[in-house]
Amino acid sequence: MSQDVDATPKEKRWRIGSLELLIIGLIALVLGQQWIVTFFTNPALQTASTIFVSIVVQAMPFLVGGVLLSGAVTAFIPASVWQRVLPKNKALAVPVSGCAGMLLPGCECASVPVAGSLVSKGVPASSALTFLLAAPAINPIVLVSTFVAFPGEPALVLARFVASLATAIIVGWIWLRFGQDSWMRMASRLHLVGDTKFETFRRTAAHDFLHAGGFLVFGAAIAAFINVIIPAEWMQSVADNPVLAIGFMALLAIVLSICSEADAFVASSFTQFSLTSKLVFMVVGPMVDIKLVAMQTGIFGRRFAMRFAPTTLVVAIAMSLIVGGVLLT
Amino acid sequence: MTREVQAVILVLVGSAIIRITIDDTFLNYVKEGMRPWLLLTGGALIAMGVLAIVDVFRGERGKKDDDEPEHEHEQGDDHAHHGPRSAWLLLLPVLAIFLVAPPALGAFAAARDLTNSSPSGAVAPPLPPGDPVEVYVSDYVNRAVWDFGKTLAGRTVAITGFVVPNPDGGWWLTRMSLACCAADAFAGKIQVVDPPEGWEEPPADTWAVVTGEWIPGGGTNSDTAIPLLAAENIVQIEQPVNPYD
Repeated sequence: MSQDVDATPKEKRWRIGSLELLIIGLIALVLGQQWIVTFFTNPALQTASTIFVSIVVQAMPFLVGGVLLSGAVTAFIPASVWQRVLPKNKALAVPVSGCAGMLLPGCECASVPVAGSLVSKGVPASSALTFLLAAPAINPIVLVSTFVAFPGEPALVLARFVASLATAIIVGWIWLRFGQDSWMRMASRLHLVGDTKFETFRRTAAHDFLHAGGFLVFGAAIAAFINVIIPAEWMQSVADNPVLAIGFMALLAIVLSICSEADAFVASSFTQFSLTSKLVFMVVGPMVDIKLVAMQTGIFGRRFAMRFAPTTLVVAIAMSLIVGGVLLT
Repeated sequence: MTREVQAVILVLVGSAIIRITIDDTFLNYVKEGMRPWLLLTGGALIAMGVLAIVDVFRGERGKKDDDEPEHEHEQGDDHAHHGPRSAWLLLLPVLAIFLVAPPALGAFAAARDLTNSSPSGAVAPPLPPGDPVEVYVSDYVNRAVWDFGKTLAGRTVAITGFVVPNPDGGWWLTRMSLACCAADAFAGKIQVVDPPEGWEEPPADTWAVVTGEWIPGGGTNSDTAIPLLAAENIVQIEQPVNPYD
């Protein structure tokens, strides 16, 4: 884009505008509150707004924890550390970073900004992406909650671990072979470097929060509305057809955008569905869902997310079916 | 979006989180155990926002912007200095919290949940002493449906929930449970049998404590079975601070 000529005056105008816009907008909303609230007496809209706020509130601590960690990675860990820790061979580095995913006890909201800061620190994209996929799926908290949610089904915990790790590693290798770093368009972080490490830390954290947070909100809103719109009766008939059930559980994982630390409880509540379709739900959910793809778009750019998410989805479903076929029968 | 607005948004999101946590509205959305984490989160966001405002006042913004060459825009990266436009969306939950304050899930959400329980696998221990003994809806459903009501027979129970009209007649005493947050809530329902006068068709979402005894019926060992409760006494109450089981 070569709008350099008019960029400066346009920015100046916009810059004055946005703060005033915010203030005027807020005043208008506060004055119009009574009128707005009458809109929300519709029970469907009310339920959707509750679900929307609850997804955002539930995800916030994880998102903030993730951006603080990504700020810390950026500010306090020199790039040379990664070169020392990761094997020189990029193909070998992929499984190593997949297993490193066990060390980040968060959910997917946390791993997106962390992976973003790893890439900007010069970690090979294939490794950072494998970490991004593995961390929310195979960390100890998620595995324990899966164990708790499925009493008497320890094989499912193992299946989840194996299928998720395999998916993360395979997608990492696919990226290494076919991926192009030009698909990633990350916001410049130069302006985030402050006079002290602490300044860099907090600016990176705020920057990542603003980037990923808006998309989290977008994903939560879509998930909330779809949650309210899908007729409950559809579920029952779908569960009876094994192929439909798997496709449906994958779709549900994408749409519901549930935190990976909680998705096992949701999966187990679909009692009429097969174990393998629940496995699909739990492998796909932490890797591909609406809010996650939206956040990936925010951190890595749209061209990246458009390619990365479908690839991951296909591999995740395939791995779940294979692992499920071996371990869950 | 300018740095000022970014800073204001950080502070607003942080304050919204702190506000729902200290006045307990957060219990409408997530579980009680999130309280300390939400306070830390809100505090961290406010701190980030305040420090960013300090940056602006120190003239940091002007300095940085002048230092940085314009070619950053060649990447079409129009949010390099300004923060992404998408960050405006962060105002949505803030507005929802401050203006609309979405209520706890009620009859609409409960009626959408067609299953009523899932096999627990664990053996239900005897009910604690008490007459009536307070029982959660989900606990009652599990004992009645998956344990044939063995531990309920002969006991008088007091159960808190809200009214969901049963399309086939009568109403369910209902309470939602959260696995994690309201997005994954599921409903437990009990059909109230022989309600006292005035409680034949109460309006949906009325909160009440129903005292009564378990009676067989409604089905067992099925995730859609809805057990019965013969009501002796019903008292209308305000919504509990924690609306979920």
